[in-house]
Amino acid sequence: MKTSGNAPARGRAGLLASLAAALAIGLSPVAAYAADPVKLNFWDMIWGPPEYIDAAKELVAEFNKENPGIQVEYRSIPWNNWYQTYVTAISAGTAPDLSTGAGYQAVQLYDLGAIRPIDDLIEEMKTSGDLDDFLPGTVDTLRYDDHYVALPWGIDIRVWFYRKDMLDAAGLKVPTTWAELREAAKATTKDGKFGILASGDTGGSHFLYNAILNNGGGLFTEDRKLDLKSERNVEAFEALAGMVADGSVSPASTGYNSDDRRGAFNRGQGAFTLDGPGLISQAGDAADKIGVVPPLAGPHGDKGTIFWVNNIMVYEQTKHPEEVKTFLKWWSKNQTPLWTKGNTGQLPTRKSIAANDYFKQQASRGYVLENYVPIGKTTATHAAGIFPALNEVEGEGVMQTFAQELWQGKPLDQILDTADSRLKSIVKE
Amino acid sequence: MAYPNPTPAQRWTRFGILSVIVLVVNLPIILMVMNSFQTTDQLMQRSSLLPHDLTTANYSYLSERTNFWRYLWNSVVASTGSTITSAAAAALAGYALSRFRGRFVTTYSRTLFIVQMFPIILALIPLFILFRTLGLINSPLSVIILYTVVHLPFATWMARSFFDTIPRELEEAALVDGCSRFGAFLRIVLPLSGPGLAAIAIFSFLFSYNEFFVANVFLRDENAMTLPVGITMFMQQYSTDWGSLMAAATLTVVPTFILFLGIQKYITYGAVSGGVKG
Amino acid sequence: MSAVDLSRSEAGTWRASARAWWRTGDALPFLLLAPSVLLILAVIAYPMLTGFWYGFTDGSLLKYGRFVGLDNYVELITSRDFRHALWFSLVFAVFNVVGCYALGLGLALLLNQDVPGRPFFRVALLLPWIVPSIVSIVSWRWMMADERALFNQVIGLFGGSPVYFLSDQTWAVVMVIAIKIWRSFPFMMLSLLAALQSIDRSLYEAASLDGASRWNQFRFVTMPQLRNISIVLALLMTIWTVNDFDTPWLLTQGGPANATENLVLLAYRYTFGRNDVGLGSATSFVTLIILMILVVFLLRRQKER
Repeated sequence: MKTSGNAPARGRAGLLASLAAALAIGLSPVAAYAADPVKLNFWDMIWGPPEYIDAAKELVAEFNKENPGIQVEYRSIPWNNWYQTYVTAISAGTAPDLSTGAGYQAVQLYDLGAIRPIDDLIEEMKTSGDLDDFLPGTVDTLRYDDHYVALPWGIDIRVWFYRKDMLDAAGLKVPTTWAELREAAKATTKDGKFGILASGDTGGSHFLYNAILNNGGGLFTEDRKLDLKSERNVEAFEALAGMVADGSVSPASTGYNSDDRRGAFNRGQGAFTLDGPGLISQAGDAADKIGVVPPLAGPHGDKGTIFWVNNIMVYEQTKHPEEVKTFLKWWSKNQTPLWTKGNTGQLPTRKSIAANDYFKQQASRGYVLENYVPIGKTTATHAAGIFPALNEVEGEGVMQTFAQELWQGKPLDQILDTADSRLKSIVKE
Repeated sequence: MAYPNPTPAQRWTRFGILSVIVLVVNLPIILMVMNSFQTTDQLMQRSSLLPHDLTTANYSYLSERTNFWRYLWNSVVASTGSTITSAAAAALAGYALSRFRGRFVTTYSRTLFIVQMFPIILALIPLFILFRTLGLINSPLSVIILYTVVHLPFATWMARSFFDTIPRELEEAALVDGCSRFGAFLRIVLPLSGPGLAAIAIFSFLFSYNEFFVANVFLRDENAMTLPVGITMFMQQYSTDWGSLMAAATLTVVPTFILFLGIQKYITYGAVSGGVKG
Repeated sequence: MSAVDLSRSEAGTWRASARAWWRTGDALPFLLLAPSVLLILAVIAYPMLTGFWYGFTDGSLLKYGRFVGLDNYVELITSRDFRHALWFSLVFAVFNVVGCYALGLGLALLLNQDVPGRPFFRVALLLPWIVPSIVSIVSWRWMMADERALFNQVIGLFGGSPVYFLSDQTWAVVMVIAIKIWRSFPFMMLSLLAALQSIDRSLYEAASLDGASRWNQFRFVTMPQLRNISIVLALLMTIWTVNDFDTPWLLTQGGPANATENLVLLAYRYTFGRNDVGLGSATSFVTLIILMILVVFLLRRQKER
């Protein structure tokens, strides 16, 4: 964490932004035509397969038709180096008016003075009753520093998947507890196949979050202090290390990225993996051989997994806050086609969308929505809400390295110590 | 040739050895081309080593549904632009380094090393702000300027070493005939420099055409992206469109490969030997 | 009155001397270098100065930092990550320079001989260098990802057990170096081939008249002639390898367990992962200084002769 003693300095970035704005107004002859529609820039991450972008563009076109006074320009942002994209744009005064973003982007950019809280919008939605449409906990997860920094739109979550064919061949039932998962993983490890396929990238660190949250643990204490070595966490890490020691975790895991891991799983090279709810619909021919493992019970009976509330945020640099609000409200209510046509891998945060037939046809997504989302927890657990250090903890890759070393089978206490001291140096504890 | 008159047997042995080397060395590239004729599903199944059921579906998808041609056009604009500017700047500077002495020239020559070593990551944020005020973000000009500078030391050294091979006597004769020094450069030296400039241009073009790191920062709009950045658009959050990616990759290489085949005899002027001096 | 006269005459002499400067050609080197100097000032000097300043602050990507003196440099130099990245950068540079030089020289010697289809081979061997890194490295990853990937199928044919190239620290280092050599050797080959073709043939004729064997011709004629360009190539390749971001990033992202993290990746992680511009800039500067020392050393060697 940067010292919070500094006022949330808007310093150079803010100065440059106003300078750029002043230049634009002073120099641009176009600004004189008041009747022109207000232009808004909306940056959207690529949240799904190619048809996602088409669906989102169509939706924006529909809005533009319904609201001739506002012209929204849609731009899709690749995941590759997304953070750099936003930060450089903000510091140069070319941030969008609003954007979607993963888990903690909003708080972190807010902390840098780049995000405009949407308290007024939330207040309005509360009065109109629209806020009740959101799944419990989603809106409040995005509360930071007594402000609502973003509006939820999608839930990303990690759940265990299994290969039906491999479990059948080994005569196994679908596990319901961590102990059973370990047994099943051991039993399916044979003939060059492995019980568990993990990975060494960000997706690999999700195995760690899943394990500790499943066991009632968490990275932080209630007052946002690091708590990596808590009893429950260590127990969860030991469970994973045990599976590595059994030889059940594919040795390729450390070097896999999530794409490799998914490919190997779809080819049937392993029996279990942890992934997002979109896995099955992206699995091609293998889709009907894959099932969702029900929420596992930990040794103390806890259940839980990692989830993120992805959201839409408004930027401080916008010159048209009212129009942005209009669009945001419209988008939030009318985004159903992002699923029905766009096949995004996210789950909806609105009950009305979750009730759509789409989630009955896509049984696995419906199942996850019903059984996993209620037990989802953020990486901020046990602290309330989210905070900027989370992005740095994820971005710096400590947990990623931790996962790589865990899959390599290095002694747990040693890698735990390293990870703990590195995390502490990041959050400057 | 160093060793004259090889027997036909020797020549064909060498041919055999080289063929095997070419195959082994280019294996990743050969696989890439073969994979571009497989759908993403087939690729993910990866049931056999050699591709089967070849399909051109990726190519039609690429052409009809994606911005591929736009990326290609942007790449051509950025590479051609930076090739011209960098060859021009390098020719002038290389001539100065080849023919003149003095403190200014020496300092410049040393500075080139620092430019060559400069970690570009350090320049990203300040340059982004500078280019923003100049309105150059998402404009090919931003990368053209950057590529020109990043490639400048190497291009200058190449130019210098080429000019070093042109005898000074030619210019001295022109000076005696009343030509100015710059006139001598324009009328006598430059016309002789075709092959050298061609070699510089090839290196510049290749460098700019393939560059990813800088383009990725300055060209964020889909309509402004060059090919290496555009290719990352096929990598989504949860899946990579391998088929399109491999097809795009294959098509990306075609122009440079043809370029090299066509003008390969100039490449050998690419010796920097004499040009790099402190 | 007199003041005006004075200034006029001063202006006159200034113009006259400028004209003389131009006519004698003394101005020419300055004019020739002007475009390059302007570009370098804007694109290198300005960011270098700001970066140098950032190295002494604790700023993040969006916040102006406070001056913290040498804190960043102290934190950097005492950190284990830095020492490891420095070590890996060194190993990476040494093995790559030696490896791609040896391979490049061997192929250049082969191509310098009379072979059918030489123009084709010359370009076909340049392919690894022509293909964009993001493309070729994806392909390499496919060939070694797991037990079913091509490399392990080949190992299996010979009865070996699968090797997990990207999961093992040592193998990952070996593969990063191997791929960097693969991407670099064509440039070496090209430059050395050009140099070989410029060697005076009469030197070889004289040597064979003296009865020198082929090996001795290589040792006493070819290698001395290649000495200078070899040093230059080693110098360029050292710079390019130390500053290489693409190869380790695209292959392993610096993993496993940071085994393949070089100084550039470390600077990138500090700047964009940890959002610590001060530490990132300090890392870049230390890299630059280390490179300068290496280059000065190599240039000295070039001059000794």
